[in-house]
Amino acid sequence: MSSSYPKEHKMIVKDLLDGKFILSNDTKYEIIRQFEAYYSEFFQESFEYKMILKSDFVYLISNDSNENLSRDISIFLAVLCYELDKDGRNFLDSLNFNEFEHEQIDQYFENTSYKDVIQSNKQLRDKPARINFYNTLARRNIIEKSGDDRFLFTPAYKVFVEFAQEIAKSKSAGDEEVTGGSKEPDYSMN
Amino acid sequence: MSNIQAEPKTILRFLVQHFDAIAELLQEQRKEGVIKVEFLNKVCAVTDIRLQLTEYRIISSVKSDYEIRKVYEDFLSFIIGDQRITLPETIEKYHDSITKLFLQMQYTAPEDTAILGERITELQEEVKHLTENVDRNTNTLLKETRELKANVERIDYLEKVKKACFWIDYYIVPLNKILDINKFDSVASKLYEVSFFANEKRLNFPDEPTRLKYEKLYEYLILVNDELLRHSKILTHELMPLIERIKTESLILSGFIQFLKKPNKYDTPLLLKDKRVYIYNKNVYFNTLEYFEQFYNQEDVVYEDNAAASEKWVFNMDRYKATLRKKLPLENFFEWCSKELDYEFKEVESEKFFSLCTLLFEDDIKIEVDEAGKRQRVHTMEATYMVPRIKIEKI
Repeated sequence: MSSSYPKEHKMIVKDLLDGKFILSNDTKYEIIRQFEAYYSEFFQESFEYKMILKSDFVYLISNDSNENLSRDISIFLAVLCYELDKDGRNFLDSLNFNEFEHEQIDQYFENTSYKDVIQSNKQLRDKPARINFYNTLARRNIIEKSGDDRFLFTPAYKVFVEFAQEIAKSKSAGDEEVTGGSKEPDYSMN
Repeated sequence: MSNIQAEPKTILRFLVQHFDAIAELLQEQRKEGVIKVEFLNKVCAVTDIRLQLTEYRIISSVKSDYEIRKVYEDFLSFIIGDQRITLPETIEKYHDSITKLFLQMQYTAPEDTAILGERITELQEEVKHLTENVDRNTNTLLKETRELKANVERIDYLEKVKKACFWIDYYIVPLNKILDINKFDSVASKLYEVSFFANEKRLNFPDEPTRLKYEKLYEYLILVNDELLRHSKILTHELMPLIERIKTESLILSGFIQFLKKPNKYDTPLLLKDKRVYIYNKNVYFNTLEYFEQFYNQEDVVYEDNAAASEKWVFNMDRYKATLRKKLPLENFFEWCSKELDYEFKEVESEKFFSLCTLLFEDDIKIEVDEAGKRQRVHTMEATYMVPRIKIEKI
């Protein structure tokens, strides 16, 4: 009965279960969009995973989250954005369009005032650890490697940027507790 | 009517001479609303200019304090390039004043040309005030926004968000409404209405001087419309995106900074965990690769030519000459060369073959070419040669 399944079904399921972000430039994304209701139900009923479909990407979430990786990525992006801004660069434009060289990031991370946060993180503390980290991000389609020592961010970074916005909003609202992960994101930024 | 006795040039010279002190007074007024008498005394302690300040009507007294007169304040702010942004509500008042003058102009009897002329001029003046205000507001907003973007004052990111929101809500959006020609109650649409009326009158009004005044008003309004459109474009295409950007970026940075204070305190976004790991899973390969990459020290790769890698062959002429002599006389010299080399080497390069051929030119050898012109093949690594049969013997 293989004809009753959408095209590329096997790869769609495999990629999403591997924790990958399927991006809008991937043909699989269009298929998921076309069969959104089907896949939403499929992942919910089969694995109790929630499928998040956005205009740029689709991915799965579950309560049994990979908290460490998510935290590492959040720290990585937080320090990177802070340093880019300090450097006078438009960090949203950089995340959207620029290529990042490992060496440039190494410099930022070596000289950052958040060095203590970096040092205490196993995935980010030094260059070899960060290379390992980049490989993890590339596997999940959060970055796209454009050479041995360079990469670009995919739109998946928006998940973490939106998380930062949530923190800021709750801070300005006087609320100290943020549960960014438990809420479905709203990507309303430019 | 101004009752200043001094010559205009004298006043201007005074302004140039004491510009720093006057600018200081302006700053104080901006900050405090008035110039406190103590502050004026402090400024005048260096050079006492109090007399000229009052004589040239630059300052006026407000109870026990002072203030710089509006005309000077505007002039000084303009030349310093530090103009205050006017609230759009203030600009909006021009809608009423222009409407009123327009109505009066419309209902003036055609024969009352004198008052009609005055009203046309007055209307034009009012429009001029309006455009000056709009121009000042957009330019000042643009300047302030760029400064905010560059964060010249190093203000906190959340403060930046607040400031950006404030400008959007109270200045940019209302100003844009004023300049929106599609809104029936906007100043821009009112000006369009006036220009439509003036266009009609400049063509068919019976009195010629009044017709010319309408003509002048119409042409001026065309320019004003273009100018307002330009400002509207700056607001919507440049200022709004820039300030929205500041707002978004500042919000994100503020959130990230808050997060970095206590990274373990927050619930970060949910991501799916890798499930069971099989040894043949692709991820195992990547993980292993990553693990090894950490300990892998890449050595420099040096490229060497193959020829340099193997031992260079040197033609030992004496040895081959001696071997040849022992074999003389020879019926086929090239056959001997080929066999000799084949015996000695697995693979024979052309270079070796040609080296051996040089023995033909030895003085003590007699060469005889086969008269029938028979040829034979000699194979080397690089090529196959068709060579003649050559007989050699001792002289």
